[in-house]
Amino acid sequence: MVRDPREALSIAGKLPLVVSESSARRNALRDPDVQLMLEVRDDSAAAFEELVLRYQDRLVALLAHLMGSRDQAEDLAQEVFLRVYRARKTYVPGAKFSTWLFTIANNVASNAMRTLARRHEVRPEVHASGPMGANPMDHMALASSSQMPIRRLAKAETREIVRLAIESLGQRQRMAVLLSKFEGMGYADIAEVMELSPQAIKSLLARARGNLREVLAPYMERGEQPNLLKESTPEIPKSPSP
Amino acid sequence: MSSDPGKLEPAPDSASLDEQLVAYLDGELDDATARHIETLVADDPELRARLRELGQAWELLDQLDRPRIEETFTETTLELVAVQAEAEAEDDKTREPRRRRRRQAWVGGTFLAAGLAGFLAVAALWPNPNRSLLEDLPVVENVDEYLQVLGDDESVDQSIDFLRRLHQEQLFVDEDRQGEDDHAP
Repeated sequence: MVRDPREALSIAGKLPLVVSESSARRNALRDPDVQLMLEVRDDSAAAFEELVLRYQDRLVALLAHLMGSRDQAEDLAQEVFLRVYRARKTYVPGAKFSTWLFTIANNVASNAMRTLARRHEVRPEVHASGPMGANPMDHMALASSSQMPIRRLAKAETREIVRLAIESLGQRQRMAVLLSKFEGMGYADIAEVMELSPQAIKSLLARARGNLREVLAPYMERGEQPNLLKESTPEIPKSPSP
Repeated sequence: MSSDPGKLEPAPDSASLDEQLVAYLDGELDDATARHIETLVADDPELRARLRELGQAWELLDQLDRPRIEETFTETTLELVAVQAEAEAEDDKTREPRRRRRRQAWVGGTFLAAGLAGFLAVAALWPNPNRSLLEDLPVVENVDEYLQVLGDDESVDQSIDFLRRLHQEQLFVDEDRQGEDDHAP
């Protein structure tokens, strides 16, 4: 969903661009999640459970799209919550809680990817982690022949194509896109999470969205599979005619 | 490269124009730059198409799966954290006696150091009555012999007066100097 630029501009016009550290701290203290985290700092188990319930879906979704594997995303999300718990005594409210949490998530995901790269483990085949098994196009073909409604098929196809388009991005572009799209973060917050400058985020997102546009253009214009999908879908050998 | 993501850049190349288009869609531009982009887009059909495609591609991301978390995930996470909390408590328990002993040693050491510093300060500042006795010990030990030479109390006073007068009149000053010269190397 595209945010309305005019609405964003009117908000930006009312807010000072540079906020002092003390006002940032005051703003942070108004964040209900920061209040919960302060209770966690005082060893409140109920507050911690509430934070887990509030963020688990968002965190797992983000990590799943980032890592391309649901199971790994759940493991990493648990690692993130464990780190939050371990860091509770040193927690100082300086920004929004979500920014702090996603900074930890970004570090955990980066470490996991580095470990994977060191082990020379190849990421699972893009189709293998999808909800439709090893070969979604086969699955779709079979589904269509067994009376799957056309609309559902089209939706599943779109979902698969978009997932592949996201997976075609580099790790940093993917992270920036996911934070912008699904967490609704502005450039400044994404920059804080990814420990980059807002200008770097602006460039990163422009390149990422340019890549997405390029990959998805054939599908958007002519309903064709993107080249990426054509390359990754094994051809089904034609059976010899009897 | 400007540090302000919303800053208008003159004569943008293709890459920076893309940045501005995306920042425009994200609502990250200031009013002036946004108006500038709107003018460019209104005048250029190609740019308009590009902006539309960028927006459409972004909207397609809404089709991505949003995985639903099962209850077991929450339970496992909380169990993991409970195990961590238990381990921390256990760790604290084993560390506590060590920490207490360290604290006691530190307090004891501080008291000892303070006591020693106090003793040294008193010793340095307090006048010691025995010190002058010790300094005068050679005289005290030979006081009888001195008295024999000097006579009774009255003659002692007179002898001292006599020596003072001699000193004031400086009768033996030259001899003293001579003697010093003789001893000089």
